[in-house]
Amino acid sequence: MRVSLNWLKDYVDIPIGVDELAHQLTMLGLEIEAIERPGADIKSVVVGEIQSIEPHPDADKLVVCKTDVAAGGTLQIVCGAKNMSVGDRVPTALVGATLPGGFEITKRRMRGLESCGMMCSPKELGLGDDHAGLMILPKDTPVGEDIIPLLGLDDVVYDIEVTPNRGDWACMIGVARELALLFGGNYRLPELRLTESKTRAADLSSVTIENADLCPRYIGRVLTNVKIAPSPAWLCRRLIAAGQRPINNVVDITNYVLMETGHPLHAFDLAKLSENRIVVRNAKHGETLETLDEQVRRLDPDMLVIADASAPVAVAGVMGGAASEVGENTTNIFLESAYFDPRSIRRTARALGMQTEASARFQRGADIDMALYAANRAATLMQELAGAEIADGILDEYPNPPTPNQVKLRYERTGLLLGTEVPAQTQKRVVTGLGFDLVLEDDTSITVQPPSWRHDVSQEADLIEEVARFYGYDNIAVTVPQARRSEQDFAPGEKRLNDLRAFLVAQGLTELFSWTFSSRAEVKRAGLPDSYLDMVSLQNPLSENHEAMRSSLVPGVLAAVSRNARYGSHDIAAFELGPVYTPASDNTLPSQTAHLAIVLSGAYTPKHWSRPPHPADLYDLKGLAEAITDFLGLPLALETADISPYAPGQCAAILLSGQHLGHLGEVANATLNAYELDRPAYVLNLCLDPALEGTPSVHQYQPIAPFPPSLRDLALVVDADTPAGDLVEAAHSTGGKLLTAVDIFDVYTGKQVPDGKKSIALSLVFQAPDKTLTDKNTDKLCKKILRTLESNFGATLR
Amino acid sequence: MKEKLAQIETQALADIAGAVDLKALEAIRVQIVGRKGALTEVLRNLGQVAPEERPVLGQAANQAKQRLSEALDERKKALEAEASGTGAAKGAADLSLPGRRPRQGHMHPINQVTEEIVGIFVELGFTFATGPEIETEYYNFDALNTPADHPSRDLHDTFFVKPGVVLRTQTSPVQIRVMEQTKPPVAVVAPGRVYRVDSDASHSPMFFQIEGLLVDEGVTFADLKGSLQYFVHRFFGRDRKVRFRPHYFPFTEPSAELDISCSICAGSGCRACKNSGWMELLGCGMVHPSLFRRVDYDAEKYTGYAFGFGIDRIVMQRHAIDTINHLYENDLRFLEQF
Repeated sequence: MRVSLNWLKDYVDIPIGVDELAHQLTMLGLEIEAIERPGADIKSVVVGEIQSIEPHPDADKLVVCKTDVAAGGTLQIVCGAKNMSVGDRVPTALVGATLPGGFEITKRRMRGLESCGMMCSPKELGLGDDHAGLMILPKDTPVGEDIIPLLGLDDVVYDIEVTPNRGDWACMIGVARELALLFGGNYRLPELRLTESKTRAADLSSVTIENADLCPRYIGRVLTNVKIAPSPAWLCRRLIAAGQRPINNVVDITNYVLMETGHPLHAFDLAKLSENRIVVRNAKHGETLETLDEQVRRLDPDMLVIADASAPVAVAGVMGGAASEVGENTTNIFLESAYFDPRSIRRTARALGMQTEASARFQRGADIDMALYAANRAATLMQELAGAEIADGILDEYPNPPTPNQVKLRYERTGLLLGTEVPAQTQKRVVTGLGFDLVLEDDTSITVQPPSWRHDVSQEADLIEEVARFYGYDNIAVTVPQARRSEQDFAPGEKRLNDLRAFLVAQGLTELFSWTFSSRAEVKRAGLPDSYLDMVSLQNPLSENHEAMRSSLVPGVLAAVSRNARYGSHDIAAFELGPVYTPASDNTLPSQTAHLAIVLSGAYTPKHWSRPPHPADLYDLKGLAEAITDFLGLPLALETADISPYAPGQCAAILLSGQHLGHLGEVANATLNAYELDRPAYVLNLCLDPALEGTPSVHQYQPIAPFPPSLRDLALVVDADTPAGDLVEAAHSTGGKLLTAVDIFDVYTGKQVPDGKKSIALSLVFQAPDKTLTDKNTDKLCKKILRTLESNFGATLR
Repeated sequence: MKEKLAQIETQALADIAGAVDLKALEAIRVQIVGRKGALTEVLRNLGQVAPEERPVLGQAANQAKQRLSEALDERKKALEAEASGTGAAKGAADLSLPGRRPRQGHMHPINQVTEEIVGIFVELGFTFATGPEIETEYYNFDALNTPADHPSRDLHDTFFVKPGVVLRTQTSPVQIRVMEQTKPPVAVVAPGRVYRVDSDASHSPMFFQIEGLLVDEGVTFADLKGSLQYFVHRFFGRDRKVRFRPHYFPFTEPSAELDISCSICAGSGCRACKNSGWMELLGCGMVHPSLFRRVDYDAEKYTGYAFGFGIDRIVMQRHAIDTINHLYENDLRFLEQF
């Protein structure tokens, strides 16, 4: 909300400076988002009186004026405006003047004639949007005077953020109430100087409330013989400062009183109300209303409307109708000041897609007592500024005044909650000073009733917050609490997940972090099996690409490779660690499981002056899988499998005790093409939740044999499709405990071995825990192993 | 025989001195003292020499062997020194050439910052907690005092999976879930993804928050101030000032926002802080008694504080990142900077 300091001073005395006030308001919870000084850029603009207006000899659209600026003499000014006449007083920028936006006035020639200054429109002075002509000042404005104080441009406007619980702050009086207590004074409500005419309001109109739940109070004032005209300058200025656009005196007054009291008002043209009366009721099936913004609104029976004898004339608390709008020819006015149920207004405003100044205020809860003052205040101003006669009597339908709740504040509780003792007297002063009525009081507590503008106070903590605000959050102690510890571990897997993340980074992988939105199209693009199409859909996705929550990390990491390839980064070794989501079959929430995806593509070891780059391959990926297995301390096993989207024969399933947890492999060409990738990519995908369950086993030390090992190498030729792992396994089962390690140190196919065969070189390590093995022993064992490999795999020594 | 011995020795010493590398030296060693080496042959043939000459010749041969062994050792040391670059003989290494670095991994900046923040609260005794990202409206809104018709529950603001089920818009539902599972004392921090229907240069529909909750007997607003001031000083530095100003959240009372002095102008006022000298960091407050009643805690006996803030904004400020989407675009040119 925009608050003009000059305007605010009508209601409360402010003994401190502009910046200090901003600080104090902020520390009360009225956060200042910006401080504007509308006249700060304006220099050397004075009141000028136009002495003569002559046509420009060489330009049809320009005139040449002589303007008297008193001490500055009489200036020749070439001007394009049309709305002025001789004798008008206008804001005149002298040569050397500056205007908003840093615009500087210089002496210049316009179509051959010298122009020594500029006469200004309201817009040129930053006063609204009016650029149609010069700003004509009242006849009695003193010539030569600086324009800044005259136009109130010496004002300061605070832009205040009003929190949703404090709708009562969104007006001048609301801010003044807080400051009055802060400064220890009172705030002033403008005096009501209204004189009622002989005509009785009840003879001219009437009010009927048909739904008192949605409209607990409806006040009407009738004004006659109104003269619609522009508002005086001071009123326009204040509305502009508050961010409103002046329209005419009657509409401006309703807006002015809204800004002043926070209470929305509406003026109907009484003559346009059928039977000149008001009925507050629910809309009927099929009713429509053209609102002030010239939209035809379809109403439904849940909506509250203001109607006349035959049809709706306003959407209650939201917007008036076009047909009953106050216009140039209006003479009699029905002025509405009502209180509507916040929930009903919120529902209606949302259903119609209309958020207005009025609906915003009724939604937060207006001040039901202020309704009366606001009606009378507006009537007073219409009498003063629009020549209106106020009909005798007020139409005030208020069937069931509410009973305010009572809230107890125990002084001791404040200290317990804040950690700082606040004297009882201070607590009482704050609460009563804010308008809470004292109901009961003893030495240790008070019981109070909130004032009509406070809808946010229902319990003790709310009052303690009020005490804290005025005591000052800054004055509350700063203590470091004693350490407390939850007995329960709420996320035991999370630490291991974080450790795994750090481990993967230490392996040289870069962490990806994607949006968790995905789509079925993306699952298909990645070539994942159809089971991944079972996704958690969103009802209101940002776009089709984000229609659901991801069911796999794979599409995301492939998209990352694709995106980076487009940018020219083809070498990627990256991982993503995060949740995937699965719909629940029953009424429970969808499940969320931690997954890991790794992707390798391009050079795994980058090129270096000492060696060529090493392109990533399946065994780099498998090596990472082995390292992760060791890190997690789990017996993860790989089993050759044929799984989409991997190339045939280039894929394995990852198993934990027979349970399928993921897969790894080389990505099939179809998928690479779908992501516009032209080099191989290798992907690992692993569900981590089962791996994170339970406590990891702690490694037990293995004694280090004090005797040297015996080494034997075997180069074997076997069928090309014999898995090397099977040879190793067979060697181990034959070699028993004395064979402590088998390393595969070479795999060869080519000229040296026959077609359909391959050579595998094994390095065998024999070791006994209690002695040095003799060559004889070792050779014997080695031969036994060789015989096994010969008979099981047809292996021959190379 | 004696002449032959002398000849072998002379030749061998010359060969040793001329050996260019360790491999060549080894070949020379084999030629001299190997199984079929020249000197080995002499020693082996001693038996054929006349017995009276044998002691003299034997002694000479052994002495020659001794001298050659020493020469071999010496040359070996020299060549080794050369090979390892400490000798004067090898040209100086070009140390302007880049070294062979181990692969460099990069943790995402959001996780780097989150780990650091969690670490500070762990020092204060907090435990890690999590909650589901796909959450019920009850935990995300109702249990946190958000009225049924509140605008934040609109399809314009909140992603819906189905009626009653949303993508959580804040990490605060973890407060309720944790309190339902345990009795005080409670001291948890809960980082995680949250979602709002909003996407522009400073808003991502998915972003990262961290929640904190401390509940026990005697927890005060002064404790809240002390804990968060400790956090700010540890994370941002001791020179940063903090201020708590009143604010509103439906699930805390009293509520506050914590501002820290602007990192750019140090509090004197600049464009980045809209001339206020302060930057908003987080929302916090004393747990609303209605939350305690909802989870069957005695609201008279226990008090507590809660706080929550966005990690993304801290990451962006810390690394001067101008657009939030950089964080989620997986561009290596971005990720490899961290």
